[in-house]
Amino acid sequence: MANEIHPSSPRRDLQGGIVWVLFGSLVVVLSWQMDRMTSQGATAHTAPGLWPGLVGLVLALLGGVLVLRSWRRAQRIGWDAAVPDDTDYAPTSSFALATALFFVYALLLVGRGLPFWLGTTIFVSAFVFLFQHVRRRAEDAVARGAIVALACGGLTALAVTLVFEQLFYVRLP
Amino acid sequence: MFDGLIAFGHSIWSFCDPLSLGLILLSSLVGVIIGALPGLTATMGVALMTTLTIKMPSNQALLVLICTYVGAIYGGSRSAILLNIPGTPASAASCLDGHQLAKQGLAGRAMGIATSGSVLGTLIGMFFLALFTPILGNLALKFGAFEFFWLALFGVIIAGTLTGNDPLKGWIAGLVGIFSATIGQEGIYAYDRFSFGSRDLAGGFQLVPALVGAFGFAELLMAVREKAVPVKINPFDSVIPKLKDVTQYWRTIVRSGLIGTFIGILPGVGEDVAAWSSYAAAKRASKEPEKFGKGSIDGLMAAETGDNACVPGAIIPVLTLGIPGSAPAAVLMAAMLIHGVRPGPMIMVEAPTFVYDVVAMMLFATIGILIYGLTLTNVLIKVLMVPKPVILPIIFVLCVVGSYAISQRLFDVYVMLGFGVLGYVLRRLQYPVAPLVLGMVLGDLMEKGFRRGLVLSDGSLEPFFTRPISAVLWITIVLVVAVKLPGVRNPFKRRRAA
Repeated sequence: MANEIHPSSPRRDLQGGIVWVLFGSLVVVLSWQMDRMTSQGATAHTAPGLWPGLVGLVLALLGGVLVLRSWRRAQRIGWDAAVPDDTDYAPTSSFALATALFFVYALLLVGRGLPFWLGTTIFVSAFVFLFQHVRRRAEDAVARGAIVALACGGLTALAVTLVFEQLFYVRLP
Repeated sequence: MFDGLIAFGHSIWSFCDPLSLGLILLSSLVGVIIGALPGLTATMGVALMTTLTIKMPSNQALLVLICTYVGAIYGGSRSAILLNIPGTPASAASCLDGHQLAKQGLAGRAMGIATSGSVLGTLIGMFFLALFTPILGNLALKFGAFEFFWLALFGVIIAGTLTGNDPLKGWIAGLVGIFSATIGQEGIYAYDRFSFGSRDLAGGFQLVPALVGAFGFAELLMAVREKAVPVKINPFDSVIPKLKDVTQYWRTIVRSGLIGTFIGILPGVGEDVAAWSSYAAAKRASKEPEKFGKGSIDGLMAAETGDNACVPGAIIPVLTLGIPGSAPAAVLMAAMLIHGVRPGPMIMVEAPTFVYDVVAMMLFATIGILIYGLTLTNVLIKVLMVPKPVILPIIFVLCVVGSYAISQRLFDVYVMLGFGVLGYVLRRLQYPVAPLVLGMVLGDLMEKGFRRGLVLSDGSLEPFFTRPISAVLWITIVLVVAVKLPGVRNPFKRRRAA
C-alpha cells in the first residue's frame, strides 16, 4: 500500500481528471462546430476540426482514465492520502504579493506608455524593498534598504536597456 | 570520412576570429551563471539569448546559444555542490554526492570532477553528433508524412513516460501542448481555430514566449513560494581536476557518455533523465554502491558526464528529424528556424556543412566550460550569495523583455504569463512540463503528417500501420503505453507473479 501513496492525493487527481474530461469534451464540441470547408472541396479527412477534435477526444479519455484511477486508489488508501510535503514554504501573503507585483509590471507598467526604464525601476525597487523590509526593519536600516532597492531597480533598468537596445539593437516594450 | 574532417576543420577555422572567440567566452560565462542560479534553467537561458541574438548572423547567433546551453547544464553543478540546490533540474543527481563531498571539505575536488565529467561527456556526445547525424540524416530522407506523424507522437509519449513520476499525467500534459499548437490558422485552408475573433490568437502561440513562461515564470513562482534559506558555503580545496579521477573512473565516463547521448537522442527526454540514468547505471556497476549518496566520486562523475553528453545527443534529432531531444534543444530549434536554418531530413542535402559547424560550436562551448570551470569559482560564489529578493525581479524583467523582443507584441508577454501560470499549476499537481513543451513543438508536425497522410492515402488509415518504419514506431508506442497504462500494467505483473 505504501507505494500506492503519491505526492498528489486521489482527491486532487480526481479533480484534475474531471477538468480534463470537461476541457477535452469542450474541444471536441468546438471542433465539431468548425466550418467543414466543403465549399472549398474539403472532405471529412481534411476538415479543419478533425485533428483538434481527435486531440480533445483523447484528452477527455485520458482524463477519464485519471478519474477511474483516482477512484480505485481512493478505495484502497482514502481520498486524502499523499506523500507528506516537507517543503519549507514562504507565507501565502508573500507569494500573493510577489505574484501581484509580477502581474502589475507585465500588464500595467510596460508597453502602456510609461518609459521602460521607469517601469522597470519602479517594479524592481518595489520588489526588493518590500521583500527585504522585514529584515531591514529588524536591523533598523529601512532607509538604507530603500536606497539599496532603488539602486537595484535603477541599475537593472540601465543594464537591460543598454544591453538589449544599445548593444544588440533589440526593441524594448 | 575525410570530407567530414575537412568540413569540421573549416568550421573550426571559421570561428577563429576575435568576435566569435569573444562571443564564446561571453556566452559560456552567461550560461554558467544562468545554470548556477537556482530558478534559472538552461531552457530559459537559451530562450533569453535567442531574443538577444535575433539581429546577429545565424552562425554567430547559434554559436552563442550552444555555448549558453552547454554552459548552463554545466553551471548547475556549482550550486548543487556548494549549496545542495540544483541550479538546473539536470544537476539534481549531482546534489547527492557533490554536496556530501563538499561537507567533507572536498568541494574543490567535487567541482573538479564536475568539470572533467562535463567536458568529457560533451566531447563523447560531440563525437556521436558528428558520427550519427549524417547517417540518421540519410535515413530520415526515407521518412514520409506517415512516419513523421508516428515519430512526433512517439516523442510526446516518450517524454510523457520518462520525464515525470506518472506517465498518465505526462501524456495529458503532452496532449495539452498538442492542443495549444492547434490554436490559430491551420495549414490547408487558413481557417482560424479557437481564435474567437482575436487577431493575435489567429497567429497562434510563438514558441519562445511559451517556453519562457513554462520554464521561466513558472520557476519564479515556485521559487517565490518556497522560503528563502540563508546561503552557507563550505570551505573548498583546489578546483583543478585530478588526472587520477579521470583514469580511475574511465569506465564510468564512457558508460555515462553513451547513456547521456542515447537519452539525448530520445525526443524530449532531456538532461535530468540522462543524469539520473547514468547515476543509476554507475551505482549498479560499482563495486562500492553503498558509497553512493555519501560522497561517491563515481556517482558525481556519472551524473555530470551523463547530463552534459545529453546536450549534443539532444541536437542530433533536431538536425536530422526536426524533433528536439530536450526542452533547451526545442528552443534551439526555434532559434534555427528564426535564423533561416531549416533543421530536418533535408539538412544533409541543403546545408551538409552546417552539421560540422554545430560540432565545432560544441567544441568551443566545451573549451568555454573548461576555462570557467578552472577560474570562475569565486565569482560564482559571489553571484550565489545575491539574495533571492534581488534576483527574482531581475529574472522576471528578462522574462518580459525576452517574450516581447521576438515580435515586439505585448500579446507575447501575455502568452508568457499564461503559460507561466499553467506551468506552475501543472507542477503543483505533479504534471511534468517537458511533454507540454514537446507537444507544442511537435503538434504542428504531427498534424501535418496526419492530414497529409490522409490526403495521400485518400482517407485510408492503412498506410499509417503497414509501412515498415511506421509499423515499428506504432508498435513501440503501443508497447510503451500498454506497459504504463493503469489497469494494463497490473495483468502483466500478475501473470509474471503467477
